Amino acid sequence: MHEWSVADAVIRTVIDWADGKKIKVKKVVLGVPSFSFLDVEILKEAFDMMKKDSVLDEAELEVKFKDPKFKCKNCGKEFSLNEVKDQIDSVKSEFGEEYPMHFMPALAPSFIKCPYCGSHDIILESQDMTIDEIQVEENGTVKTVSQG
Amino acid sequence: MEPLRQLAKDKLAGKKVYAVMSAKGGVGKSVISSLLALTMGGTTLIDLDIHTMAIPKLFGLEGKLHEVSKNGIEPFEIKTTKIVSLSGIVKDNYVILPGGNQSSIMESLIAYSHIDTNTVIFDLPPGLGDEILVLERITDFTPIVVTTPSKISKKVVDYLMRYLRERGKEPKILVNLAYMDCDGKVVKPFGEYEGFGLPIDPSIEEYIGRIQDYEGAVKEKLKEFIQSL
Ligand SMILES: [Zn+2]
Repeated sequence: MHEWSVADAVIRTVIDWADGKKIKVKKVVLGVPSFSFLDVEILKEAFDMMKKDSVLDEAELEVKFKDPKFKCKNCGKEFSLNEVKDQIDSVKSEFGEEYPMHFMPALAPSFIKCPYCGSHDIILESQDMTIDEIQVEENGTVKTVSQG
Repeated sequence: MEPLRQLAKDKLAGKKVYAVMSAKGGVGKSVISSLLALTMGGTTLIDLDIHTMAIPKLFGLEGKLHEVSKNGIEPFEIKTTKIVSLSGIVKDNYVILPGGNQSSIMESLIAYSHIDTNTVIFDLPPGLGDEILVLERITDFTPIVVTTPSKISKKVVDYLMRYLRERGKEPKILVNLAYMDCDGKVVKPFGEYEGFGLPIDPSIEEYIGRIQDYEGAVKEKLKEFIQSL
C-alpha cells in the first residue's frame, strides 16, 4: 500500500521540476534502497494510475534497486545486505509486509547489528529514495536529464 | 532530486503549522502539545520527538501500529485529533539513528502520513537539532516555545528564542507550571516570568495514558492562549 505514497512523491516531484514547461516526460528512473523491498508491480500500477493528465502522461517508470553498503563504526568492518539478510527477514516476520525499513530505510541501524561485533553503530550509503534520471521530449527531440 | 522532501512540502502546503519546542527537556512539552491539539480540535499531531515518543504514552497508544492505506500512514484517531508517531512504525523497539538518518526519518514520516486536517502540530525534541532544520526546509511554521519559570529554563530558552528570531519567526512563549490558583489568589512559587503562563495542576499526572480525558485548569487556560494565536 505504501507504494502509492512513493508513486505520489515521484509524480509530484517531476511535475514540480517540469514547472509548466512544454515538455513530455518519457521516462523516470527511480533509485530505491533494495532492502525497502518495494513491490515494483504495485508501484508501477500506482504510477500509471496517478500520472494521467499531467506532463507525465506518457512516462514510463523504471525502478533501480540500490544495494546498500554497510560499515560498522565500532569495528570498522564493511558488510553487505546478504550478510544481514536473516536480520531483515526477522524484522519482516515480526512486522509483516509494512515493516519499518519498508517506509524508512534510514531506520536500519535500529534493527540491524554488525554481523562481526554486534554493534548498532553502523552507517549505510544509498538509503534515500532518489530520482536519478528523467527522459524528456522537447520540440520533438528526446534527451536525458540526469539528476545529481 | 529528493521526492520525499517534495511530498512532505506538499502535505503541509496551505495548512496552519505549529511547532511546539523547548530549550530543555522535562518542561512538560509533550503534555502541552497534546492538550493544544485536543483543545484546538480537528488537528493532526505529529510526534517528532523520536527518542522519547512521549505522545503515544500520553494517549495510551503504546505498542500500537499505524495502518497503511493508499493514502499513506493512517494516523491514530482520538476524538477529533489525529496522531502520527514513529512509535506506530517501530512498535516498542528502541530507535538508534546515527547522524543524518534523523532528518531522513522525519521527512519520510511527514511525507508518508495521511494528513487531512487544516492544522498540524509538531511535537519537537528539546534543543536545537535537525528537527527544526527539517521543518524550516518544508514549511513556514509558527514556533510555540514551552518553558518553566525556573532560572535555568529561562537561561536556556534564550538561545532558542535568539535563533528563531534570527530566522524571522516570532515565537510564542508558553510558561508551564507558572502559577497556582489558591481560591482566586494567584501564587507564583517559582517567581516572575515572561510569556503566557499556565497553572500548576497536579491532577494531570492521573491522566497520563488518557490525556484525552483531561478537562482541568491547564486546558481551560490553553483555550485563552489559542485565541491569541
Ligand atoms: Zn562491527
